[in-house]
Amino acid sequence: MRPELLVRPASLADLWKALPALPRDRRYLAGGTDLMIAAGHGHAGDCWVDISGLKELKSFRETSSSIFIGSGLTIAELAEKPAVKKWLPALALCAPHYASPSLRNMATIGGNAANGSPCADGVCALLSEKAEIVLGLKGAKRKMPLHSFFLAPKRTALKKDELILGFEVPKWRHVSAYEKLGPRSYFGISKVTVCVSAEISGGLVKEAVIACASVAPVPLLARKAAEFLYGRRLDEGTVSEAAALAESEASPITDTRSEAGYRKAMVRVLASRALSKLAA
Amino acid sequence: MKKKAAGKFQLDCSVNGARVRREIAASRTMLEFLREDLGLKGTKEGCGEGECGACLILLDGRAVNSCLMMAAQAHGREIVTIEGIKGRDGGLHPIQKTFMEEGAVQCGFCIPGIIVAAEALLRRKPDATLEDIKLELTGNLCRCTGYEKILSAVELSRDELKKKGKR
Ligand SMILES: Cc1cc2nc3c(=O)[nH]c(=O)nc-3n(C[C@H](O)[C@H](O)[C@H](O)COP(=O)(O)OP(=O)(O)OC[C@H]3O[C@@H](n4cnc5c(N)ncnc54)[C@H](O)[C@@H]3O)c2cc1C
Ligand code: FES
Ligand code: FES
Repeated sequence: MRPELLVRPASLADLWKALPALPRDRRYLAGGTDLMIAAGHGHAGDCWVDISGLKELKSFRETSSSIFIGSGLTIAELAEKPAVKKWLPALALCAPHYASPSLRNMATIGGNAANGSPCADGVCALLSEKAEIVLGLKGAKRKMPLHSFFLAPKRTALKKDELILGFEVPKWRHVSAYEKLGPRSYFGISKVTVCVSAEISGGLVKEAVIACASVAPVPLLARKAAEFLYGRRLDEGTVSEAAALAESEASPITDTRSEAGYRKAMVRVLASRALSKLAA
Repeated sequence: MKKKAAGKFQLDCSVNGARVRREIAASRTMLEFLREDLGLKGTKEGCGEGECGACLILLDGRAVNSCLMMAAQAHGREIVTIEGIKGRDGGLHPIQKTFMEEGAVQCGFCIPGIIVAAEALLRRKPDATLEDIKLELTGNLCRCTGYEKILSAVELSRDELKKKGKR
Protein backbone atom coordinates (compact mmCIF):
# COMPACT_ATOMS: atom_id res chain seq x y z
CA MET A 1 0.00 0.00 0.00
CA ARG A 2 1.25 3.44 -0.85
CA PRO A 3 0.80 5.81 2.10
CA GLU A 4 -1.59 8.75 2.07
CA LEU A 5 1.14 11.12 3.13
CA LEU A 6 4.10 12.20 1.05
CA VAL A 7 6.41 15.09 1.82
CA ARG A 8 9.08 16.55 -0.35
CA PRO A 9 11.68 18.54 1.57
CA ALA A 10 13.51 21.21 -0.41
CA SER A 11 16.85 20.67 1.31
CA LEU A 12 18.54 18.40 3.84
CA ALA A 13 18.12 21.01 6.55
CA ASP A 14 14.44 21.16 5.71
CA LEU A 15 14.25 17.37 5.94
CA TRP A 16 15.77 17.14 9.44
CA LYS A 17 13.42 19.88 10.61
CA ALA A 18 10.34 18.17 9.19
CA LEU A 19 10.92 14.65 10.54
CA PRO A 20 9.73 15.01 14.17
CA ALA A 21 6.25 16.06 13.04
CA LEU A 22 5.80 13.08 10.70
CA PRO A 23 4.23 9.68 11.49
CA ARG A 24 6.78 7.34 13.08
CA ASP A 25 6.57 4.67 10.39
CA ARG A 26 8.15 6.68 7.57
CA ARG A 27 10.30 5.71 4.60
CA TYR A 28 12.61 7.57 2.31
CA LEU A 29 11.63 7.56 -1.35
CA ALA A 30 14.47 7.90 -3.86
CA GLY A 31 14.05 6.33 -7.31
CA GLY A 32 11.13 4.26 -6.04
CA THR A 33 12.09 1.17 -8.00
CA ASP A 34 12.26 -0.98 -4.87
CA LEU A 35 9.88 0.92 -2.60
CA MET A 36 7.03 1.07 -5.13
CA ILE A 37 7.29 -2.69 -5.65
CA ALA A 38 7.28 -3.24 -1.87
CA ALA A 39 4.19 -1.02 -1.61
CA GLY A 40 2.47 -3.18 -4.21
CA HIS A 41 2.97 -6.23 -2.01
CA GLY A 42 1.99 -4.90 1.40
CA HIS A 43 2.36 -2.13 3.96
CA ALA A 44 5.23 0.22 3.19
CA GLY A 45 5.02 2.85 5.89
CA ASP A 46 2.54 5.60 6.80
CA CYS A 47 4.52 8.39 5.22
CA TRP A 48 7.08 8.74 2.46
CA VAL A 49 9.77 11.37 2.53
CA ASP A 50 10.71 12.05 -1.08
CA ILE A 51 14.45 12.64 -1.25
CA SER A 52 14.67 12.45 -5.04
CA GLY A 53 14.77 16.24 -5.36
CA LEU A 54 17.61 16.81 -2.88
CA LYS A 55 20.59 18.37 -4.66
CA GLU A 56 22.84 17.57 -1.69
CA LEU A 57 22.48 13.86 -2.46
CA LYS A 58 23.47 14.32 -6.10
CA SER A 59 26.98 15.53 -5.48
CA PHE A 60 29.94 13.96 -7.20
CA ARG A 61 33.37 15.04 -6.03
CA GLU A 62 36.81 13.98 -7.08
CA THR A 63 39.92 14.59 -4.96
CA SER A 64 43.47 13.46 -5.63
CA SER A 65 42.94 10.26 -3.64
CA SER A 66 39.22 9.46 -3.74
CA ILE A 67 35.87 9.89 -5.40
CA PHE A 68 32.70 10.73 -3.53
CA ILE A 69 29.44 9.57 -5.07
CA GLY A 70 26.22 11.10 -3.76
CA SER A 71 23.60 8.51 -2.84
CA GLY A 72 20.97 10.22 -5.02
CA LEU A 73 22.84 9.76 -8.27
CA THR A 74 21.13 7.37 -10.64
CA ILE A 75 22.88 4.47 -12.30
CA ALA A 76 22.52 6.21 -15.67
CA GLU A 77 24.03 9.45 -14.35
CA LEU A 78 26.95 7.55 -12.88
CA ALA A 79 27.60 5.48 -15.98
CA GLU A 80 27.92 8.66 -18.04
CA LYS A 81 30.62 10.23 -15.89
CA PRO A 82 34.15 10.13 -17.33
CA ALA A 83 35.58 9.82 -13.80
CA VAL A 84 33.49 6.68 -13.25
CA LYS A 85 34.79 5.13 -16.45
CA LYS A 86 38.32 5.99 -15.43
CA TRP A 87 38.40 5.24 -11.71
CA LEU A 88 35.42 2.96 -11.09
CA PRO A 89 35.55 0.45 -13.92
CA ALA A 90 33.47 -2.13 -12.03
CA LEU A 91 30.62 0.32 -11.55
CA ALA A 92 30.79 1.27 -15.23
CA LEU A 93 30.81 -2.40 -16.25
CA CYS A 94 27.80 -3.34 -14.13
CA ALA A 95 25.61 -0.55 -15.53
CA PRO A 96 24.46 -2.22 -18.78
CA HIS A 97 23.48 -5.29 -16.75
CA TYR A 98 21.58 -3.26 -14.17
CA ALA A 99 17.81 -3.43 -14.77
CA SER A 100 16.65 -1.66 -17.98
CA PRO A 101 17.65 1.72 -19.48
CA SER A 102 14.56 3.48 -18.11
CA LEU A 103 14.95 1.93 -14.66
CA ARG A 104 18.57 3.05 -14.66
CA ASN A 105 17.27 6.60 -15.12
CA MET A 106 15.36 6.21 -11.84
CA ALA A 107 17.27 3.75 -9.65
CA THR A 108 19.76 5.40 -7.31
CA ILE A 109 22.97 3.92 -5.98
CA GLY A 110 21.89 4.83 -2.44
CA GLY A 111 18.59 2.96 -2.81
CA ASN A 112 20.48 -0.05 -4.11
CA ALA A 113 22.45 -0.25 -0.85
CA ALA A 114 19.66 0.81 1.53
CA ASN A 115 17.39 -1.88 0.17
CA GLY A 116 19.78 -4.43 1.69
CA SER A 117 19.47 -7.06 -1.02
CA PRO A 118 22.35 -9.49 -1.56
CA CYS A 119 21.61 -9.32 -5.32
CA ALA A 120 22.32 -5.60 -5.76
CA ASP A 121 24.53 -4.88 -8.77
CA GLY A 122 25.73 -1.42 -7.79
CA VAL A 123 26.68 -2.66 -4.33
CA CYS A 124 28.59 -5.62 -5.75
CA ALA A 125 30.60 -3.32 -8.04
CA LEU A 126 31.35 -0.78 -5.30
CA LEU A 127 32.36 -3.53 -2.87
CA SER A 128 35.00 -4.74 -5.27
CA GLU A 129 36.25 -1.15 -5.60
CA LYS A 130 36.80 -0.88 -1.83
CA ALA A 131 34.06 1.68 -1.24
CA GLU A 132 33.13 3.07 2.13
CA ILE A 133 29.59 4.18 2.83
CA VAL A 134 28.86 7.56 4.38
CA LEU A 135 25.78 7.90 6.58
CA GLY A 136 24.21 10.99 8.06
CA LEU A 137 21.63 11.70 10.74
CA LYS A 138 20.99 15.38 11.36
CA GLY A 139 24.42 16.84 12.12
CA ALA A 140 26.12 13.49 12.74
CA LYS A 141 28.07 11.71 10.03
CA ARG A 142 29.69 8.29 10.12
CA LYS A 143 31.57 6.17 7.65
CA MET A 144 32.18 2.45 7.45
CA PRO A 145 33.47 -0.09 4.97
CA LEU A 146 30.60 -0.93 2.64
CA HIS A 147 30.72 -4.65 3.49
CA SER A 148 30.04 -4.01 7.18
CA PHE A 149 26.89 -2.04 6.31
CA PHE A 150 25.02 -5.26 5.49
CA LEU A 151 23.90 -7.23 8.54
CA ALA A 152 21.39 -9.78 7.21
CA PRO A 153 19.01 -10.06 4.25
CA LYS A 154 17.16 -6.73 4.09
CA ARG A 155 18.90 -5.55 7.27
CA THR A 156 21.51 -2.84 7.21
CA ALA A 157 23.37 -0.69 9.74
CA LEU A 158 21.02 2.26 9.06
CA LYS A 159 19.52 3.71 12.23
CA LYS A 160 16.06 5.19 12.29
CA ASP A 161 15.91 8.19 9.94
CA GLU A 162 19.57 7.85 9.04
CA LEU A 163 20.33 8.64 5.42
CA ILE A 164 22.96 7.24 3.14
CA LEU A 165 24.75 10.39 2.02
CA GLY A 166 27.03 8.64 -0.39
CA PHE A 167 30.04 6.44 -1.03
CA GLU A 168 33.68 7.24 -0.85
CA VAL A 169 35.85 5.18 -3.14
CA PRO A 170 39.63 5.35 -3.06
CA LYS A 171 41.43 5.94 -6.31
CA TRP A 172 43.55 2.90 -7.01
CA ARG A 173 44.87 1.74 -10.35
CA HIS A 174 42.73 -1.32 -10.85
CA VAL A 175 41.07 -3.20 -13.65
CA SER A 176 37.75 -4.94 -13.18
CA ALA A 177 35.57 -7.68 -14.63
CA TYR A 178 31.84 -8.02 -13.97
CA GLU A 179 30.22 -11.40 -14.58
CA LYS A 180 26.49 -11.66 -13.97
CA LEU A 181 24.12 -14.53 -14.65
CA GLY A 182 20.49 -13.55 -14.82
CA PRO A 183 17.39 -14.99 -16.46
CA ARG A 184 18.55 -13.52 -19.81
CA SER A 185 21.55 -11.60 -21.15
CA TYR A 186 20.19 -8.22 -20.09
CA PHE A 187 17.48 -6.97 -17.73
CA GLY A 188 16.97 -9.38 -14.88
CA ILE A 189 17.91 -9.67 -11.24
CA SER A 190 21.09 -11.65 -10.71
CA LYS A 191 21.09 -15.38 -10.01
CA VAL A 192 24.83 -15.19 -9.35
CA THR A 193 27.29 -12.35 -9.87
CA VAL A 194 31.04 -12.20 -9.40
CA CYS A 195 32.92 -8.94 -9.71
CA VAL A 196 36.70 -8.80 -9.47
CA SER A 197 38.82 -5.68 -9.21
CA ALA A 198 42.59 -6.02 -9.15
CA GLU A 199 45.74 -4.04 -9.37
CA ILE A 200 48.23 -5.90 -11.50
CA SER A 201 51.79 -4.77 -11.78
CA GLY A 202 54.58 -6.46 -13.69
CA GLY A 203 52.19 -9.32 -14.38
CA LEU A 204 51.68 -9.96 -10.66
CA VAL A 205 48.58 -9.28 -8.60
CA LYS A 206 49.32 -6.52 -6.12
CA GLU A 207 45.84 -6.47 -4.72
CA ALA A 208 42.53 -8.12 -5.60
CA VAL A 209 38.99 -7.79 -4.29
CA ILE A 210 36.36 -10.35 -5.23
CA ALA A 211 32.74 -9.42 -4.56
CA CYS A 212 29.85 -11.81 -5.13
CA ALA A 213 26.11 -11.16 -5.26
CA SER A 214 23.16 -13.49 -4.66
CA VAL A 215 25.27 -16.24 -3.09
CA ALA A 216 25.14 -15.41 0.64
CA PRO A 217 22.71 -13.67 3.03
CA VAL A 218 24.55 -10.41 2.36
CA PRO A 219 26.78 -9.17 -0.46
CA LEU A 220 29.90 -11.30 -0.08
CA LEU A 221 33.61 -10.62 -0.19
CA ALA A 222 35.51 -13.77 -1.13
CA ARG A 223 38.52 -12.96 1.03
CA LYS A 224 40.37 -16.27 0.90
CA ALA A 225 40.32 -16.27 -2.87
CA ALA A 226 41.47 -12.66 -3.00
CA GLU A 227 44.31 -13.25 -0.53
CA PHE A 228 45.44 -16.30 -2.43
CA LEU A 229 45.96 -14.15 -5.51
CA TYR A 230 48.35 -11.80 -3.80
CA GLY A 231 51.74 -11.71 -5.53
CA ARG A 232 50.75 -14.30 -8.11
CA ARG A 233 50.61 -14.33 -11.86
CA LEU A 234 47.09 -14.94 -13.23
CA ASP A 235 47.96 -18.18 -15.01
CA GLU A 236 45.56 -21.04 -15.51
CA GLY A 237 46.46 -22.83 -12.28
CA THR A 238 46.14 -19.72 -10.13
CA VAL A 239 42.83 -18.77 -11.72
CA SER A 240 41.32 -22.19 -11.15
CA GLU A 241 42.55 -22.43 -7.58
CA ALA A 242 41.24 -18.95 -6.72
CA ALA A 243 37.90 -19.73 -8.38
CA ALA A 244 37.59 -22.90 -6.30
CA LEU A 245 38.31 -20.93 -3.13
CA ALA A 246 35.64 -18.38 -4.05
CA GLU A 247 33.15 -21.21 -4.52
CA SER A 248 34.01 -22.57 -1.07
CA GLU A 249 33.25 -19.17 0.47
CA ALA A 250 29.75 -18.92 -1.02
CA SER A 251 26.72 -20.11 0.95
CA PRO A 252 23.77 -19.60 -1.38
CA ILE A 253 20.17 -20.62 -0.87
CA THR A 254 17.49 -21.89 -3.21
CA ASP A 255 14.81 -19.30 -3.96
CA THR A 256 12.50 -18.34 -6.82
CA ARG A 257 15.40 -17.08 -8.91
CA SER A 258 17.77 -20.01 -8.73
CA GLU A 259 18.93 -23.11 -6.95
CA ALA A 260 21.64 -23.32 -4.28
CA GLY A 261 23.80 -25.99 -5.94
CA TYR A 262 23.74 -24.24 -9.29
CA ARG A 263 24.61 -20.91 -7.70
CA LYS A 264 27.55 -22.38 -5.82
CA ALA A 265 28.93 -24.06 -8.94
CA MET A 266 28.49 -20.86 -10.93
CA VAL A 267 30.58 -18.84 -8.47
CA ARG A 268 33.55 -20.90 -9.59
CA VAL A 269 32.69 -20.52 -13.28
CA LEU A 270 32.13 -16.77 -13.08
CA ALA A 271 35.19 -16.15 -10.88
CA SER A 272 37.29 -18.05 -13.34
CA ARG A 273 35.85 -16.09 -16.28
CA ALA A 274 36.42 -12.78 -14.53
CA LEU A 275 40.01 -13.60 -13.57
CA SER A 276 40.80 -14.87 -17.05
CA LYS A 277 39.55 -11.58 -18.48
CA LEU A 278 41.87 -9.67 -16.17
CA ALA A 279 44.76 -11.90 -17.19
CA ALA A 280 44.20 -11.22 -20.88
CA MET B 1 8.72 22.16 2.73
CA LYS B 2 6.28 21.13 0.05
CA LYS B 3 2.94 20.15 1.30
CA LYS B 4 1.54 17.89 3.81
CA ALA B 5 -2.15 18.64 4.28
CA ALA B 6 -3.45 15.12 4.92
CA GLY B 7 -3.27 13.11 1.77
CA LYS B 8 -2.81 16.02 -0.64
CA PHE B 9 0.13 17.35 -2.58
CA GLN B 10 0.43 20.67 -4.35
CA LEU B 11 1.99 19.69 -7.67
CA ASP B 12 3.56 22.17 -10.05
CA CYS B 13 5.15 20.69 -13.15
CA SER B 14 5.12 20.84 -16.91
CA VAL B 15 3.27 18.26 -18.98
CA ASN B 16 3.77 18.26 -22.74
CA GLY B 17 4.89 21.85 -22.64
CA ALA B 18 2.01 23.20 -20.55
CA ARG B 19 2.32 24.20 -16.93
CA VAL B 20 0.15 22.08 -14.63
CA ARG B 21 -0.62 23.30 -11.11
CA ARG B 22 -2.93 21.06 -9.14
CA GLU B 23 -3.72 19.66 -5.80
CA ILE B 24 -3.45 15.90 -6.17
CA ALA B 25 -3.84 12.89 -3.90
CA ALA B 26 -0.37 12.35 -2.42
CA SER B 27 -0.62 8.62 -3.04
CA ARG B 28 -1.01 9.02 -6.82
CA THR B 29 1.52 7.37 -9.09
CA MET B 30 2.63 9.34 -12.13
CA LEU B 31 0.79 6.83 -14.32
CA GLU B 32 -2.48 7.34 -12.43
CA PHE B 33 -2.05 11.10 -12.48
CA LEU B 34 -1.59 11.14 -16.25
CA ARG B 35 -4.39 8.75 -17.09
CA GLU B 36 -6.96 9.52 -14.43
CA ASP B 37 -6.38 13.14 -13.45
CA LEU B 38 -5.23 14.54 -16.79
CA GLY B 39 -7.06 12.09 -19.06
CA LEU B 40 -3.91 11.34 -21.04
CA LYS B 41 -4.61 7.72 -21.88
CA GLY B 42 -1.76 7.16 -24.31
CA THR B 43 0.52 6.01 -21.49
CA LYS B 44 -0.40 2.41 -20.70
CA GLU B 45 -0.23 0.19 -17.68
CA GLY B 46 1.02 -3.27 -18.55
CA CYS B 47 2.62 -4.85 -15.51
CA GLY B 48 2.71 -2.02 -12.99
CA GLU B 49 6.07 -3.36 -11.78
CA GLY B 50 8.75 -1.97 -14.05
CA GLU B 51 8.98 -5.05 -16.26
CA CYS B 52 7.21 -4.13 -19.51
CA GLY B 53 7.86 -0.48 -20.42
CA ALA B 54 4.28 0.25 -21.58
CA CYS B 55 4.19 3.18 -19.13
CA LEU B 56 7.33 5.01 -20.28
CA ILE B 57 7.33 8.79 -20.29
CA LEU B 58 10.10 11.36 -20.57
CA LEU B 59 11.13 13.08 -17.34
CA ASP B 60 13.45 15.99 -18.12
CA GLY B 61 14.20 14.22 -21.39
CA ARG B 62 14.98 10.80 -19.95
CA ALA B 63 12.71 7.77 -20.27
CA VAL B 64 11.30 6.56 -16.94
CA ASN B 65 8.66 4.02 -15.89
CA SER B 66 5.68 6.09 -14.75
CA CYS B 67 4.20 3.11 -12.89
CA LEU B 68 7.08 3.21 -10.40
CA MET B 69 7.12 6.95 -9.95
CA MET B 70 5.02 9.04 -7.60
CA ALA B 71 3.30 11.99 -9.27
CA ALA B 72 4.74 14.27 -6.58
CA GLN B 73 8.23 13.42 -7.77
CA ALA B 74 7.57 15.41 -10.93
CA HIS B 75 7.36 18.62 -8.89
CA GLY B 76 9.34 21.31 -10.68
CA ARG B 77 10.15 19.02 -13.58
CA GLU B 78 9.18 18.45 -17.19
CA ILE B 79 7.07 15.52 -18.33
CA VAL B 80 6.51 14.51 -21.93
CA THR B 81 4.06 11.71 -22.70
CA ILE B 82 3.33 10.01 -26.01
CA GLU B 83 0.72 12.74 -26.62
CA GLY B 84 3.53 15.29 -26.51
CA ILE B 85 5.72 13.52 -29.03
CA LYS B 86 4.86 15.32 -32.24
CA GLY B 87 6.27 16.26 -35.58
CA ARG B 88 7.31 19.85 -36.21
CA ASP B 89 4.01 20.56 -37.92
CA GLY B 90 2.14 19.37 -34.82
CA GLY B 91 1.09 16.16 -36.59
CA LEU B 92 2.59 12.72 -36.21
CA HIS B 93 6.22 12.46 -35.25
CA PRO B 94 8.51 10.82 -37.86
CA ILE B 95 8.92 7.82 -35.54
CA GLN B 96 5.15 7.39 -35.35
CA LYS B 97 4.80 7.67 -39.12
CA THR B 98 7.50 5.10 -39.67
CA PHE B 99 5.92 2.65 -37.24
CA MET B 100 2.64 2.92 -39.14
CA GLU B 101 4.20 2.64 -42.59
CA GLU B 102 6.31 -0.35 -41.59
CA GLY B 103 3.46 -2.22 -39.94
CA ALA B 104 5.40 -2.28 -36.69
CA VAL B 105 2.18 -1.94 -34.71
CA GLN B 106 -0.29 -4.72 -34.07
CA CYS B 107 -2.52 -4.33 -31.00
CA GLY B 108 -0.55 -1.20 -30.18
CA PHE B 109 -0.51 -1.55 -26.43
CA CYS B 110 3.28 -1.52 -26.08
CA ILE B 111 3.87 1.07 -28.79
CA PRO B 112 3.60 4.35 -26.81
CA GLY B 113 6.31 3.07 -24.47
CA ILE B 114 8.46 1.89 -27.34
CA ILE B 115 8.15 5.18 -29.19
CA VAL B 116 9.06 7.08 -26.03
CA ALA B 117 12.13 4.85 -25.58
CA ALA B 118 13.11 5.26 -29.23
CA GLU B 119 12.68 9.03 -29.06
CA ALA B 120 14.84 9.22 -25.93
CA LEU B 121 17.54 7.18 -27.65
CA LEU B 122 17.50 9.03 -30.96
CA ARG B 123 17.64 12.43 -29.27
CA ARG B 124 20.66 11.35 -27.29
CA LYS B 125 22.29 9.32 -30.02
CA PRO B 126 21.10 10.24 -33.51
CA ASP B 127 23.45 7.62 -35.00
CA ALA B 128 22.28 4.74 -32.81
CA THR B 129 23.22 1.35 -34.23
CA LEU B 130 20.92 -1.67 -34.31
CA GLU B 131 22.75 -2.95 -31.22
CA ASP B 132 22.12 0.37 -29.42
CA ILE B 133 18.44 0.13 -30.33
CA LYS B 134 18.17 -3.43 -29.04
CA LEU B 135 19.82 -2.46 -25.76
CA GLU B 136 17.61 0.61 -25.37
CA LEU B 137 14.51 -1.52 -25.79
CA THR B 138 15.49 -4.24 -23.29
CA GLY B 139 12.87 -2.88 -20.90
CA ASN B 140 10.02 -2.94 -23.43
CA LEU B 141 7.92 -6.02 -23.99
CA CYS B 142 5.73 -6.57 -27.02
CA ARG B 143 3.42 -9.57 -27.18
CA CYS B 144 2.46 -9.19 -30.84
CA THR B 145 5.00 -8.13 -33.40
CA GLY B 146 7.95 -10.32 -32.55
CA TYR B 147 10.28 -7.28 -32.41
CA GLU B 148 11.80 -7.54 -35.89
CA LYS B 149 9.49 -4.92 -37.32
CA ILE B 150 9.84 -2.72 -34.28
CA LEU B 151 13.62 -2.77 -34.52
CA SER B 152 13.63 -2.03 -38.22
CA ALA B 153 11.07 0.76 -37.75
CA VAL B 154 13.37 2.41 -35.21
CA GLU B 155 16.29 2.08 -37.62
CA LEU B 156 14.25 3.66 -40.41
CA SER B 157 13.11 6.41 -38.04
CA ARG B 158 16.73 7.14 -37.24
CA ASP B 159 17.50 7.50 -40.97
CA GLU B 160 14.42 9.64 -41.50
CA LEU B 161 15.25 11.93 -38.57
CA LYS B 162 18.78 12.38 -39.82
CA LYS B 163 17.50 13.79 -43.09
CA LYS B 164 17.66 17.51 -42.66
CA GLY B 165 14.84 19.37 -41.04
CA LYS B 166 12.90 16.47 -39.61
CA ARG B 167 13.32 17.43 -36.01
C1 LIG C 1 11.98 -4.61 -12.84
C2 LIG C 1 13.11 -4.34 -11.91
C3 LIG C 1 14.39 -4.77 -12.23
C4 LIG C 1 15.46 -4.54 -11.38
N1 LIG C 1 16.70 -4.97 -11.75
C5 LIG C 1 17.76 -4.74 -10.94
C6 LIG C 1 19.05 -5.17 -11.31
O1 LIG C 1 19.27 -5.73 -12.40
N2 LIG C 1 20.08 -4.95 -10.44
C7 LIG C 1 19.89 -4.33 -9.24
O2 LIG C 1 20.84 -4.16 -8.49
N3 LIG C 1 18.66 -3.90 -8.86
C8 LIG C 1 17.60 -4.10 -9.68
N4 LIG C 1 16.34 -3.67 -9.30
C9 LIG C 1 16.18 -3.09 -7.97
C10 LIG C 1 16.25 -1.57 -7.87
O3 LIG C 1 16.07 -0.96 -9.14
C11 LIG C 1 17.58 -1.08 -7.29
O4 LIG C 1 17.85 -1.70 -6.06
C12 LIG C 1 17.61 0.44 -7.12
O5 LIG C 1 18.95 0.88 -7.12
C13 LIG C 1 16.92 0.96 -5.89
O6 LIG C 1 17.09 2.38 -5.83
P1 LIG C 1 15.85 3.39 -5.77
O7 LIG C 1 16.45 4.75 -5.81
O8 LIG C 1 14.85 3.07 -6.77
O9 LIG C 1 15.34 3.06 -4.30
P2 LIG C 1 13.91 3.27 -3.61
O10 LIG C 1 12.95 2.27 -4.11
O11 LIG C 1 13.52 4.68 -3.65
O12 LIG C 1 14.33 2.90 -2.12
C14 LIG C 1 14.70 1.59 -1.75
C15 LIG C 1 14.88 1.51 -0.23
O13 LIG C 1 16.00 2.28 0.18
C16 LIG C 1 15.63 3.33 1.07
N5 LIG C 1 16.46 4.47 0.65
C17 LIG C 1 16.59 4.97 -0.61
N6 LIG C 1 17.54 5.91 -0.65
C18 LIG C 1 18.02 6.02 0.63
C19 LIG C 1 19.03 6.84 1.23
N7 LIG C 1 19.74 7.74 0.52
N8 LIG C 1 19.28 6.67 2.56
C20 LIG C 1 18.59 5.79 3.29
N9 LIG C 1 17.62 4.98 2.76
C21 LIG C 1 17.34 5.12 1.46
C22 LIG C 1 14.15 3.52 0.89
O14 LIG C 1 13.55 3.99 2.05
C23 LIG C 1 13.70 2.11 0.54
O15 LIG C 1 13.54 1.36 1.71
C24 LIG C 1 15.26 -3.87 -10.16
C25 LIG C 1 13.98 -3.40 -9.83
C26 LIG C 1 12.91 -3.62 -10.70
C27 LIG C 1 11.56 -3.09 -10.33
S1 FES D 1 3.44 -0.76 -16.50
FE1 FES D 1 5.26 0.24 -15.96
S2 FES D 1 6.75 -1.14 -16.65
FE2 FES D 1 4.95 -2.25 -17.00
S1 FES E 1 1.83 -4.46 -30.61
FE1 FES E 1 0.70 -5.63 -29.19
S2 FES E 1 1.98 -5.68 -27.46
FE2 FES E 1 3.22 -4.78 -28.95
